[in-house]
Amino acid sequence: MTDIAHLVCDQVTYRYEPQAEPAVKDISLVIPRGQFTAILGHNGSGKSTLAKLLNGLFLPSEGRITVSGMDTREEKHTWDIRQAAGMVFQNPDNQLVATRVYDDVAFGLENIGVPTEEMPPRIDEALRLTGMAEYADRPPHLLSGGQKQRVAIAGILAMQPQALILDEATAMLDPQGRKEVFDTVARLNREQGITVVWITHFMEEAARAQRVMVMDHGAMAMDGTPREIFSRVEEVRALRLDVPPMTKLAHLLIARGIKAARDVLTVEEMAREVKRLCPSCWKN
Amino acid sequence: MPIVLEKLTHIYQQGGPVATTAIEDIDLVIDDGELLALIGHTGSGKSTLAQHLNGLMKPTSGRVLLDGRDINAPGEDTRKLRFQVGLVFQYPEHQLFEETVYKDIAFGPRNMGLSNEEIDGRVRSAMDMVGLPFEEIKERSPFEVSGGQMRRIALAGVLAMRPRVLVLDEPTAGLDPRARDLLLKDIQRLHMEGTTVVMISHAMDDVARLATRIAVLEKGRLVMEGLPEVVFGRFEELTGMGLDVPQGCQLARRLRELGGPEIPDCYLLESLADSLAAFLKGGGGDAA
Repeated sequence: MTDIAHLVCDQVTYRYEPQAEPAVKDISLVIPRGQFTAILGHNGSGKSTLAKLLNGLFLPSEGRITVSGMDTREEKHTWDIRQAAGMVFQNPDNQLVATRVYDDVAFGLENIGVPTEEMPPRIDEALRLTGMAEYADRPPHLLSGGQKQRVAIAGILAMQPQALILDEATAMLDPQGRKEVFDTVARLNREQGITVVWITHFMEEAARAQRVMVMDHGAMAMDGTPREIFSRVEEVRALRLDVPPMTKLAHLLIARGIKAARDVLTVEEMAREVKRLCPSCWKN
Repeated sequence: MPIVLEKLTHIYQQGGPVATTAIEDIDLVIDDGELLALIGHTGSGKSTLAQHLNGLMKPTSGRVLLDGRDINAPGEDTRKLRFQVGLVFQYPEHQLFEETVYKDIAFGPRNMGLSNEEIDGRVRSAMDMVGLPFEEIKERSPFEVSGGQMRRIALAGVLAMRPRVLVLDEPTAGLDPRARDLLLKDIQRLHMEGTTVVMISHAMDDVARLATRIAVLEKGRLVMEGLPEVVFGRFEELTGMGLDVPQGCQLARRLRELGGPEIPDCYLLESLADSLAAFLKGGGGDAA
């Protein structure tokens, strides 16, 4: 499985009811192996439906989806696909089932019939990769939200997926928990080459992705690098989304007659931009 | 008259083997008409403090005074006193339970023993205050509307009790950007119209935009309190507590570190842009 195109949608439409307005409308996209893609859009824009299509929880009403070349509509692939593209949801409390972190990670493996002797190394590795090894014997309900989400991710990692699909996995977390979970997933992407689809409402998270897709009314409204997407401030605002604060600041400066770059994303980039705009303003 | 917290302390499971001090020795005055943001790390005691403001939790020691009267004193009068403080929990939509939106919002006023006519008026105006279309959704189940609307139904249920003080525990958590903006506008308007607001939030850019004053809790203690520019000016202390700082203030600090301009008013992007633009146009002269 060394194909470059990992998750592929070919003219995919999905309706919850046969006569209903499609929740996902004619979407075609290719997500290459190892890419970190963020999906933005309002509630009801079709993001979560798309996520569930990508791991075969939903099957397209029209069109075709393949995961590593496997068509999600073919029943013989169903379990392989769910295992290959693991999903993490919003509420950490709904995803943990056992009384011990270790057992929770084991649960998924038992479900897919992994032989008992193969389980410990996979569980240990998954807990190590999520930084949760030292919590193996703790009861999950005493963990912080960020830690619970990392356990949920470990449970999926133990199944050795090639893609992680996270549907607002940080929405219910505090800033520290959000950072923990985002950094964990970014590291898995970087070091393990896991393809990531990261659905979020937080623009600063999307700014750190390699690619940003914006959905609106079930269709793909924008698709590009974070820099390309967020520099199109008016379009993003028209979709009633935000841009990162530093991008907003750049545009406020432009409105005040300063020739700032339109595609600033981070604090560090803005500091450099101020330096570029006025080299003589600096003491050193 | 303000809310006064006097040496407020709450210990969970006091005397037991796992006794935990959630808040300790808190002295704080919440003035009429202000919008106080309560910030702090998860577990710092914010929610515990909030639940003392309307008597939902009783202090282990110390007092909560409203109009100079102890809200935990025995008697029917203090129950009425507590109705003046409306508390909206985190994820309040998890507590919706009635068959219709109307009944859910009417629950609080009904509990207060008001007449049907009075209740009806209050439900209508509460829905109006949070931008919910009365005719369109009053008979619908509160469970079949959008997440943003559910949140606003829960808020309307508290507003229908006409509280003078509104206490909101992370009102925008988990909402999408549009629903968040609508809700923040509602909160801002209620504040402008005279409601005192206490808002717990982790979203520092929202806090920067709305708060008239900020109180910071750490490990159950009140460690900082003041105007937004003062609190956000104490950058190192906040980040040391694991708190976020508005990105504008992060930029101001970075510029200073690099030997660049001093930007005093960093916490609102608009005024930051004014200062920066003036500075850049002046070729590095006066930033203020």
